[in-house]
Amino acid sequence: MANKQPDAAPDRARERLDAALAPVSGSLRRAGLITAGGSLLWLPQAALVAWLLASLIAGSADRGTALLAAVGFALLGALRAAFQILADRILAKAADRVLARERAVLVAREGRRAPMAAGPRSAELAALASEKLNTLEPYILRYRPAQMRVFTVPLAILLLSFTISWAAGVILLVAGPLIPVFMALVGMAAREASERQMDEIGTLNGMLLERIQALVDIRLLDAGEQVARGFEERAESLRERTMAVLRVAFLSSTVLELFSALGVALVAVYVGFSLLGTIGFGAWGTPLGVGEGVFLLLLAPEFFQPLRDLAAAWHDKASATAVARDLVKAEAVAPVEILGTGAGAVPLPMPDGPALVSVRGLEIGLGGAQRIAFPDFDIACGETCALLGPSGRGKSTLLSALAGLLPVAAGRIEIGGQPLDADRADRWRMSVGWIPQAPHFFSGTLRANLRLGDPEAGDAELLAALRTAHAEEIVERLPRGLLSQLGETGAGVSGGEARRLMIARAALGKLPVILADEPTANLDAQTAEVVTDGLLALAEAGATLIVATHDETLAARLGRRIELGGAA
Amino acid sequence: MRPLLPILKLVWSADRAAFLRGIALAVVVLVMGVALLGLSGWFIIAAGAAGLAGTGAVFDVFRPSAGVRFLALGRTAARYGERLLTHDATLKALAALRVRLLRGISAAPYRSLLRLRGAEVLHRLTADIDALDGVALRLAIPLLAGALVLAGSLAALTWLVDSRVAAWSVFSLALGATLALIWAARRSDRPSRMAEAAGRAFRVRLVDHLRGRAMLAFAGQLDMSRQAVLKADARARRERLTLARTERRTGAVVSLTATFSAAGALYIGAELALRGEISPALAALGFFATLGMAEVVGPLRRAMREIGGMRDSARRVLRWLPGQDLPRSRPETAPPNDPEAGLELVDLSVSALPEGPELAEGLSLQILPGETLALVGRSGAGKTTVLDVAAGLIAPRAGEVRLCGRALVQWEERALRHHLGYLPQRSALTSGTIGEALRLARPEASDAELHAVLTAVALDAVVARIGGLQARLGEGGRGLSGGESRRLALARVLLRAPDVLLLDEPTEGLDRATAERVLNGIRAACPKSAILIAAHRAVERDWADALHSVG
Repeated sequence: MANKQPDAAPDRARERLDAALAPVSGSLRRAGLITAGGSLLWLPQAALVAWLLASLIAGSADRGTALLAAVGFALLGALRAAFQILADRILAKAADRVLARERAVLVAREGRRAPMAAGPRSAELAALASEKLNTLEPYILRYRPAQMRVFTVPLAILLLSFTISWAAGVILLVAGPLIPVFMALVGMAAREASERQMDEIGTLNGMLLERIQALVDIRLLDAGEQVARGFEERAESLRERTMAVLRVAFLSSTVLELFSALGVALVAVYVGFSLLGTIGFGAWGTPLGVGEGVFLLLLAPEFFQPLRDLAAAWHDKASATAVARDLVKAEAVAPVEILGTGAGAVPLPMPDGPALVSVRGLEIGLGGAQRIAFPDFDIACGETCALLGPSGRGKSTLLSALAGLLPVAAGRIEIGGQPLDADRADRWRMSVGWIPQAPHFFSGTLRANLRLGDPEAGDAELLAALRTAHAEEIVERLPRGLLSQLGETGAGVSGGEARRLMIARAALGKLPVILADEPTANLDAQTAEVVTDGLLALAEAGATLIVATHDETLAARLGRRIELGGAA
Repeated sequence: MRPLLPILKLVWSADRAAFLRGIALAVVVLVMGVALLGLSGWFIIAAGAAGLAGTGAVFDVFRPSAGVRFLALGRTAARYGERLLTHDATLKALAALRVRLLRGISAAPYRSLLRLRGAEVLHRLTADIDALDGVALRLAIPLLAGALVLAGSLAALTWLVDSRVAAWSVFSLALGATLALIWAARRSDRPSRMAEAAGRAFRVRLVDHLRGRAMLAFAGQLDMSRQAVLKADARARRERLTLARTERRTGAVVSLTATFSAAGALYIGAELALRGEISPALAALGFFATLGMAEVVGPLRRAMREIGGMRDSARRVLRWLPGQDLPRSRPETAPPNDPEAGLELVDLSVSALPEGPELAEGLSLQILPGETLALVGRSGAGKTTVLDVAAGLIAPRAGEVRLCGRALVQWEERALRHHLGYLPQRSALTSGTIGEALRLARPEASDAELHAVLTAVALDAVVARIGGLQARLGEGGRGLSGGESRRLALARVLLRAPDVLLLDEPTEGLDRATAERVLNGIRAACPKSAILIAAHRAVERDWADALHSVG
């Protein structure tokens, strides 16, 4: 919800908003002009009404006059509606383009961010990319054209009023510009208030969500009634505080209404007195005619309308600026990208020569100034290696770099004697099975998750792979077996089970290289042993095993130890 | 409209007075707007006619001009009041809706509650309630106020001007607005639903794409996944464009209605004036008042845009709102409870999900007051499910649970919770002070009792450090570490000293020394409880009097 911290860089948010709209600036200008033109169509409509009413009084009207004026009024009104529909269509398309582009950029950038590097949380990014970005739509559809009208329509009406009556012109001239002045004064309070109101709803939602998440506990304690009452009280006190702010905030729009009402009333009174002959000044030379008077009266509300539209769209602007601020914040995180595109490629052939992986003078940074240096080593095909070292020494970082998921700051990683670069990273990864500490399960069935990368694998092969990984019993335990839904809303699997399923996935692909990150962390001895057995089964089938771990029991079962040294 | 009716009823009953006051002032605002335009128009034409006829000197200018000023100022003041009152009514309705929802959800079955922990479900629930916030402010109040004003205008214009002008203006506006509203509701229903579904797919895929990007890179599917994410977005945007088109068209219908209505009023008035039936000034009044009445339909545009989404959200939210009353009473013919019988599981079979495989088949055991029994077995064997069943959260596949000699199904829910304490695997805290968090279990507990249970779970030092019982926790218990908030939840359960205590891996994440201290604290706090613990660690098994293997 609205950001309550003082704006570090409001200008940057505004610049970012302009940048987002830059590709459609032509459309925005065109649509703005069309809506301004639509507003100005009111002038001939008003003229027709004034003409008819004046000739009715003068007695010069007949049925033809009435019909002409009424039909003309209706046709011009229809044209006005057509203008609006045209402008709105242009704006809707422009908004769509802006949203499509912003989302594509965000998804592409964040999807290529190195998983080890610091970045915004995915839940925050999802909120930003979905509903938050959607708030740019009302900004584009309402605020921008209103802004355009504010600079054109009142000016045109003012000039026209002056040509008829300088007194009416002066009334508008005084009342009009005073509005922004007063609004600016009250508007500061209003902005805070509108944000506060959003906060209020946000806080109320937050309160509701945290209670819903605690409902199991609440029921077990039989505290439901107590919690509901407490929630009611909190909501009531929030409402009182919000209303106190709104009382001030609504003054801003009241000032606007007051001045526009006074402006219209003054014009009406001036015109009325002029027509009666009580007032003899204000018009040029001749006294004000009835038609001119009616015309002026009809113009006056339209003079204020763009300002009122702009005020009504104020909230849209505030939300759009908040979104721009979030975009700036997400973009400010230094981009550390994975190597390659992550697209499918032909797997790298395993080298015949001595070294599958060679590390020379390697240093890795994670976006910050700090770098981690690693010792040189070679790993041959078919070896089983433990990367050992105290936590914080960069075991997981090294593993990520070996997979091309992190760029190298200095030195090099070679695969089969060739440097691991963007071109080869995609092909290299196709040969690697990756077993992270906390694997992510995609929403969908367990089978779809296991077949990621091998979509045509059959169930028989799947079961064989699960057997290799000692993971059959996990599938048996799940209510719907391979068809169980995983992911956030699906059946849960424990940390050890998740890793065994990842081992099964690697077994399914018959991948020649396995990189595992702390596969036995947070597991009891029994489960750790099952996971280790699964990994070794892959090695027996010929895979090269590289395991980052601090588990000595696991390391002892591997063929080789690579110590990453003491001091960081 | 059907799904919206219960929501409207709820909003209405939240605070009838506030709602009625809001409508009343909305009517005043609209009436004054119509009157202001009508009077100004009449005044100018009448003044013009008087000027031309040379009777300007005797024309009463003061009452009309005072009327214009009064209406201008009065309308502004009424508008201010209206905005305050309708917002007040909305905020009340908003809170009422959430309170009802909270009560409704708290009566939902245990498995549904577990499902509600998912971020996506919660996200949707929030979005739905937010969508319904506009039901009063943007739909009900403008609609009712508009209808009242149109009805009043019909009478007033008939009296002041002519019945034909009045009938044309009011009925053309009402017809146009009604048609536009019905059309918008029908046309936006499907795209609203589809846009919502596509938006959800976009979010789910995006989170999958971001959290699983390493996995996707290894599968060579990072780019495919990115395209799938954008495809969902393209679908959502296409539906939103459809919605925007409907909105444009209804907007055009509304503005055409206003234009034709005013043009008709102008022509009918002029025709009547030409025939000499009414004065030109009254013809002007009719026309200007009709222009003013267009303000009645304007605010409905926003409702037309949102009505499809509102209906979609209402359908989902209604599922969570409780019906009238929850029949939770249990049979009264239960044997008297006998605390000496402790907890008995008789020939129990359980399964984690209704269609899931059977776990812990034929489990029978009894725990007497003061005894501790540990369930052991590999993970996934069903220890947690046995506890869930013993706590009455889910029904057993077969067999029975007896608490204090009485079958669980014979217990009345409230009494059951006071005799049986359960610390599940995951507990959640809410924001508030430590004292408030603990007193959820026993509102009347003294500070000394609170300190005693905090000491029992080795939290005394932590709580003293952060500021004692008055220390505030953030949302979800922020301010304590994961292990600490779990111990706080444990303390809360201990505060009741229930006859039967079920604990699911209570010392997870604690070092051995602290774990021993906490376990001894549990027994000291509840010396007479029959304790059943799902044990994971050696320290828990060592603490128990006996072990029972599951699976």
